[in-house]
Amino acid sequence: MPVAASAIYFLNLRGDVLINRLYRDDVGGNMVDAFRMHIMQTKELGTCPVRQIGGCSFLYMRISNVYIVIVVSKNANVACAFKFVVEAVALFKSYFGGAFDEDAIRNNFVLIYELLDEIMDFGYPQNLAPEILKLYITQEGVRSPFSSKPSDKPVPNATLQVTGAVGWRREGLVYKKNEVFLDIVESVNLLMSSKGSVLRCDVTGKILMKCFLSGMPDLKLGLNDKIGLENESQLKSRPIKSGKTIELDDVTFHQCVNLTRFNSEKTVSFVPPDGEFELMKYRITEGVNLPFRVLPKLGRTRMEVKSVFGAKMFALGVVVKVPVPKQTAKTSFQVTSGRAKYNASIDCLVWKIRKFSGQTESTMSAEVELISTMAEKKLGTRPPIQMEFQVWEKSGYNTVEWVRYITKAGSYEIRC
Amino acid sequence: MAPPPAPPQKSPSPSQPSGKSEVSDLKLQLRQLAGSRAPGADDSKRDLFKRVISYMTVGIDVSAAFSEMVMCSATSDIVLKKMCYLYVGNYARCHPDLALLTINFLQKDCHDEDPMIRGLALRSLCSLRVPNLVEYLVAPLGSGLKDGSSYVRMVAAVGVLKLYHISAATCLDSDFPAVLKSLMLTDPDAQVVANCLFVLQEIWNLEANKSEEASRERETLLSKKLVYYLLNRIKEFNEWAQCLVLELVAKYIPSDTDDIFDIMNLLEDRLQHANGAVVLATIKVFLHLTMSMNDVHQQVYERIKAPLLTLVGSGSSEQSYAVLSHLHLLVMRAPMLFSSDYKHFYCQFSDPSYVKKLKLEMLTAIANESNTYEIVTELCEYAGNVDVPIARESIRAVGKIALQQYDVNAIVDRLLQFLEMEKDYVTAETLVLVKDLLRKYPQWSHDCIAVVGNISSKNVQEPKAKASLIWMLGEYSQDMPDAPYILESLIENWDEENAAEVRLHLLTAAMKCFFKRPPETQKALGAALAAGLADSHQDVHDRALFYYRLLQYDVSVAERVVNPPKQAVSVFADTQSSEIKDRIFDEFNSLSVVYQKPSYMFTDKEHREPFEFSEEIGNLSLGQESVGNAPRYAESDKDLLLSTSEREENGGPSTNGPAASGYSAPTDYNSSLVSLSSQTQSETAISDPGMPKYTSQMTLAIDDLLGLSVPAAPAPPSLKLNPKAALDPGTFQRKWGQLAVSISQDCSVSPQGIAALTTPQALIRHMQASSIQCIASGGQSPTFKFFFFAQKLDGPPLFFLVECIVNTSSAKAQVKIKADDATASEAFFGLFQSALSKFGVL
Repeated sequence: MPVAASAIYFLNLRGDVLINRLYRDDVGGNMVDAFRMHIMQTKELGTCPVRQIGGCSFLYMRISNVYIVIVVSKNANVACAFKFVVEAVALFKSYFGGAFDEDAIRNNFVLIYELLDEIMDFGYPQNLAPEILKLYITQEGVRSPFSSKPSDKPVPNATLQVTGAVGWRREGLVYKKNEVFLDIVESVNLLMSSKGSVLRCDVTGKILMKCFLSGMPDLKLGLNDKIGLENESQLKSRPIKSGKTIELDDVTFHQCVNLTRFNSEKTVSFVPPDGEFELMKYRITEGVNLPFRVLPKLGRTRMEVKSVFGAKMFALGVVVKVPVPKQTAKTSFQVTSGRAKYNASIDCLVWKIRKFSGQTESTMSAEVELISTMAEKKLGTRPPIQMEFQVWEKSGYNTVEWVRYITKAGSYEIRC
Repeated sequence: MAPPPAPPQKSPSPSQPSGKSEVSDLKLQLRQLAGSRAPGADDSKRDLFKRVISYMTVGIDVSAAFSEMVMCSATSDIVLKKMCYLYVGNYARCHPDLALLTINFLQKDCHDEDPMIRGLALRSLCSLRVPNLVEYLVAPLGSGLKDGSSYVRMVAAVGVLKLYHISAATCLDSDFPAVLKSLMLTDPDAQVVANCLFVLQEIWNLEANKSEEASRERETLLSKKLVYYLLNRIKEFNEWAQCLVLELVAKYIPSDTDDIFDIMNLLEDRLQHANGAVVLATIKVFLHLTMSMNDVHQQVYERIKAPLLTLVGSGSSEQSYAVLSHLHLLVMRAPMLFSSDYKHFYCQFSDPSYVKKLKLEMLTAIANESNTYEIVTELCEYAGNVDVPIARESIRAVGKIALQQYDVNAIVDRLLQFLEMEKDYVTAETLVLVKDLLRKYPQWSHDCIAVVGNISSKNVQEPKAKASLIWMLGEYSQDMPDAPYILESLIENWDEENAAEVRLHLLTAAMKCFFKRPPETQKALGAALAAGLADSHQDVHDRALFYYRLLQYDVSVAERVVNPPKQAVSVFADTQSSEIKDRIFDEFNSLSVVYQKPSYMFTDKEHREPFEFSEEIGNLSLGQESVGNAPRYAESDKDLLLSTSEREENGGPSTNGPAASGYSAPTDYNSSLVSLSSQTQSETAISDPGMPKYTSQMTLAIDDLLGLSVPAAPAPPSLKLNPKAALDPGTFQRKWGQLAVSISQDCSVSPQGIAALTTPQALIRHMQASSIQCIASGGQSPTFKFFFFAQKLDGPPLFFLVECIVNTSSAKAQVKIKADDATASEAFFGLFQSALSKFGVL
């Protein structure tokens, strides 16, 4: 049985209940007290997202300043439960216009109750697609799609959509101008050792689409990948990377993509939802080009960052966080570009460069003075240098439909 | 319930609602509005309702306003209706008399022309949960299930389940399950079908014990017809309903291999689904369907690797945690498969500690010859981590890898470097590990003792580490010049030592040291015995008394008891039985995997408490057993079981005992046997010249008892095979010609074994794991012929030659054994047969 959530709670950081919804009677009403007592007020908090207390399992997540707690009494499906919470939060965000925090919940608690009623019934997840729910639950109040009263926008065939199969798009959309936007966002994850060798490096890419198209269009997208989803017998004989093709380790698609056709014809074909959505996600581990090289130890006090992408491209919002010891008393530094600052709350030197052109390099030299401590203890190993950036690239497509290519830092860590 | 301090809403309401006055104020206002038809009345009602609901949320009892709320509910405003439904649902159960008031308007709404309102009303009606109102439920539910709108049918289906939980008899008597069954098979709307499915599953699961009919109905839910019907519609279901269907399919027992491949082909593309829950559910189906087909099962592992690794990296850390728990389970079953992907499990600085911890376990599990160096290098990075528990875990991980026998040389060096880091917790963890390491690889004692000797016992405070250090002082006192004096100073501070564990070790170490360096230790031993006899702790007192009397009785006997020749421990007890592991695997994609114990241990109320209790009894009887066989030796070395108890501490009280352990040294009993014997060999070769050579069978038995003392494990047969036996084909042929058949017998092969025997190689690899090598093989299904050989480990090179003809259609194997030493062939046949019987059984 997938998640049969017996109850769901939204708590703020102090443990006050913002929203509670009991779906089943098999857990007591004092569950939230148990959570406060045994998890929130102890060192347990944050050490493990799944805990068992007195026969009930608590699955909790922190999202901004809110804890969302699912209580189950049975052997629930954990992955499904967490995914449910994530999707529910995404749904709430799309209703509140982006933010999900304590204030947003307080201001919209009636709406959240309504949604909680629809997205889960007696502990089983129902429909969480914002496209559909927005047809009959709106910010202003519930609008019944079945209403006999004339409403401003007739919603045809909504009965089917509330529950039906093609859940992601409603019929009868009309746009004066048909537009498609395609963003390819790649996050580079890097773990580099202090000696400069790459320990681990991979890219997780997302293709984000924004569609404003009339009717029920069937779109196709070609990929120059090599995944080819081999038959089981061919699994071991993966083609070797060559030429223009890129070897994707794994791909996942939005539910609108016809997976059967992808497997047989290698084209991504789909009827897109209206508006913004994530078409596909992929993962690459082979042949990743790093956009930045960081040399943490040039001499005793100098470090260097080199951009190794095309000279015509540029990176925006480059931030390099260099950890310094907790006992830092005084810092002094010089940078060849951008600005650096000592941020005591995160024990880091934060070096920001607004625009970083390709094939260039910047250096920083810094020295820190430490407070002399009574105990002459050895310093522990330092946290890694972390980097953030976004590299932009605009494709040469025409103006109506265009593709944007962004490479950004996922978890970019250089040990030092 | 303690009222939380903050008002839940930033409304202009005066201040913190104190309770009564606020509620009566609300009541008054509601009453004024009840009959009002004035414009704007709905808006003011909304505000009031909001306040009521927000009070309700923070736990203030607003049930007093029940009748006013019901009076106000006569409205066409759907938001107001919903708030009212929510309110009613919350308080109906504690005020059944008032709930009756609402029945009327809910029933009326159930006939509204708007399907939305019909659905909502029906849902609220079923959520009242008042037993004596059940009669009002049946009619609306019945018409709801036949409603023209799928929304209403969807709600009604779940309503049946709600009714069942209030009054099972009413639900069954009204024949709702039959209606649901036909809806499930005919309804055009996928969500209605999905809801019917889980409702029927839950009802029949609960009813199955009570009636035969119910358990038959439960069976039909897993019938081929239904499963295929659902699978063919799988794309119509939304992601959550797909999880539901996949969960059902995982329980389905396929009729033949075509069946299996059909389902897998149909579901292959589900592995590309964006929802991780769907992917995991599909993986479960694949793994469970192919259980009987070894080759395909292995291919499934290959296929699911990439999607799993993707899932680890995407989504929140909580989701990664859930996926990693599953990966961990798979890695334990197939470490080889993931051994090249070890870099995926390197910890990021930003990973939360629960993710890091799982990654460390993963790295430990997949370490093998090819990647140990990199993995250990990486683990050493974490030893200086700011997060102390993680640093400790990573040191333990290094130790565990060392105990897995790969590249020990390099690891010992690193462990010794840890000792030079001079951090208390690093030193403490490392000492415990060095002790375990020495018990497995006594040949490293020289290097280790040199470093350990430099550690000041004053810097070691943790009982476990201190006990380890003391153990080493006693065990290797002949190599550590200061040993007697360090022990002496520790004994002087006897009264300040709080941990009984440490005092016990101190006694034993003083004894050991005494026999090796009598003049230097005599005084310390006397002091230790005196302190021990005066000790208030029962065990310490008893041990001191025992030593005292033993010395009084006969010093040489005492020496034999305290300082017997020791055999290296080959395998540290694995505390989780394979049966439990299999049960967890059966419950893939659920909490069992996260908790690393089967669901009955944490869901059954009867089981939870007694389980801990029975665990204690288990430990007790284990102790008695060892006492019976080898009284003092067992106690002085009882930290053999230390590795288990370490784990217990982390798990907290509820995870006490064997079932909690997620780590495992290899459990395959055959392979452990092999490593035991190979260890024996090396130990004999390098063992300290000062120690008397051990030959005693008794010692061996005791060590086996301790090292392998999993209660369930069968006693190991006395014959041991050389894992690296070699024989060239010519010699084999000559011997085969010379020797007479000593045993010729048929034995049966398990069905799983037959299923796995698609090629001869499968069996050959399997037998190799039991140190039985293949020299030639051939044949095609259904008949395979193999020639195996094996070599006795100790003594002169004695070979066993085997001709084995396996017939897969009759599931029989014809075995002919020829042996250099015919007397041992019976024992060998036993080994061969047990190895064969394990083939294909994962």
